[in-house]
Amino acid sequence: MSMRSQVYEWSNLQANANQLRRTTGDLPVAVTANREYDIFTGGLGNNITKPAETTATQFIVIEDVAASPLLGGAVQIRINTTDYFQNPDVTDMSGIPGLASPYPRGAPSSMNATLATAGAVGSQNTLKSFDLYPDVYVLPGQTFQILYSSRLGTGVTASATEIVSCFLKYTLYDGPDALIANKLLELGVTINPNNVDWYKRSLIEQQQRSRAVAGGQQ
Amino acid sequence: MSMRSQVYEWDAARETTPKSIASTIGNRISIFVGGVGNNITKPAETTATEFVVIEDIATTPSLGTVSVVVADETVRGLTTAAGGLAGPRAYVQVRINTTDYFLDPDNIPNDGIPGAASPYPRSINFQPSFNLYPDVYVLPGQVWDALITFYNDGFPTANFQASELMCFVKYTLYDGPDALIANKLLEMGISINPGNVDWYKRSLLQAQA
Repeated sequence: MSMRSQVYEWSNLQANANQLRRTTGDLPVAVTANREYDIFTGGLGNNITKPAETTATQFIVIEDVAASPLLGGAVQIRINTTDYFQNPDVTDMSGIPGLASPYPRGAPSSMNATLATAGAVGSQNTLKSFDLYPDVYVLPGQTFQILYSSRLGTGVTASATEIVSCFLKYTLYDGPDALIANKLLELGVTINPNNVDWYKRSLIEQQQRSRAVAGGQQ
Repeated sequence: MSMRSQVYEWDAARETTPKSIASTIGNRISIFVGGVGNNITKPAETTATEFVVIEDIATTPSLGTVSVVVADETVRGLTTAAGGLAGPRAYVQVRINTTDYFLDPDNIPNDGIPGAASPYPRSINFQPSFNLYPDVYVLPGQVWDALITFYNDGFPTANFQASELMCFVKYTLYDGPDALIANKLLEMGISINPGNVDWYKRSLLQAQA
């Protein structure tokens, strides 16, 4: 299990501040407009115990990021201190809009916060316009953050809070496979499970050829 | 029939007297032997001559709405709970022997794949964001399980009703000689799928000829 597909889902649901695990008593909490929330350690919604980072024997390939297509939601990837998505003039931006990479796929892009019935939910089915390709690499020893922001913020209507979510899909390469991932990076080959397998096969073939040559010489 | 595509569908209500939501919410439930819904006779395991490749796993989706939406409203086929979340807020984790497959970035096992990312059943309203690739291998002699956890009381009644909380697993079972080939492919660092098993058989035949 040294190459593993992993996911992380965050939402603004919590029972207490700085909550680590999901609970059955979670309720929506307000998201302030134009503020970036780290989905791992931002203190809002479900969080993890420490900032997301790779150890010396890990390599992460981020393959998809998505956010609720509501309230001008967007998601940015930060590696160490560098934001991945930027404007053409190299200024900061909020990242991939939830409308371009919606989570869940097929989710509505509008909510009527004044209604207390099912009619509050818009009728749209938002599909993705964005594919994170090439993937984003998190090298051994790097820290990464996924930052969710909402241009409008929740709770525009008093006492109503929309539920927003964020989703991350990545592959974790660990141990020998992380070393191979580094080697592929040096070679300029895309890092994916197929190419890691290809590199392993080529190593085995090389070993077999060396043995055959050594056998022939004796 | 030594390579067989297999599925397992679990429904929390598929038993003579469905369990109450209150007794199961927030707990990890094995879809095979958890005592909730339809179960099998013993934990899922591979024998010495079997190899299992899990290719897809999915569960009932959920959808966030607005906190003012009252409980028991029906939104896209899901029922809302207090707080405005529709559906069970369900997650499914794969466990091999005693190791959980899905981890958080701090290397602590999490609840698993959210139903919103890998919905079952799929529909226009709920489409998958997640693809289980690379596949999960269950080697000969290993025990495996799919564990479901749900956190939201998005159910109109006190006990489970049909199709309210479901889980789906798609896997390929390699048996006998094909399981040996699957092990060989694993050693060689080749992905185990029916195409590669057939390729290995053809290459053996060519070597013999």
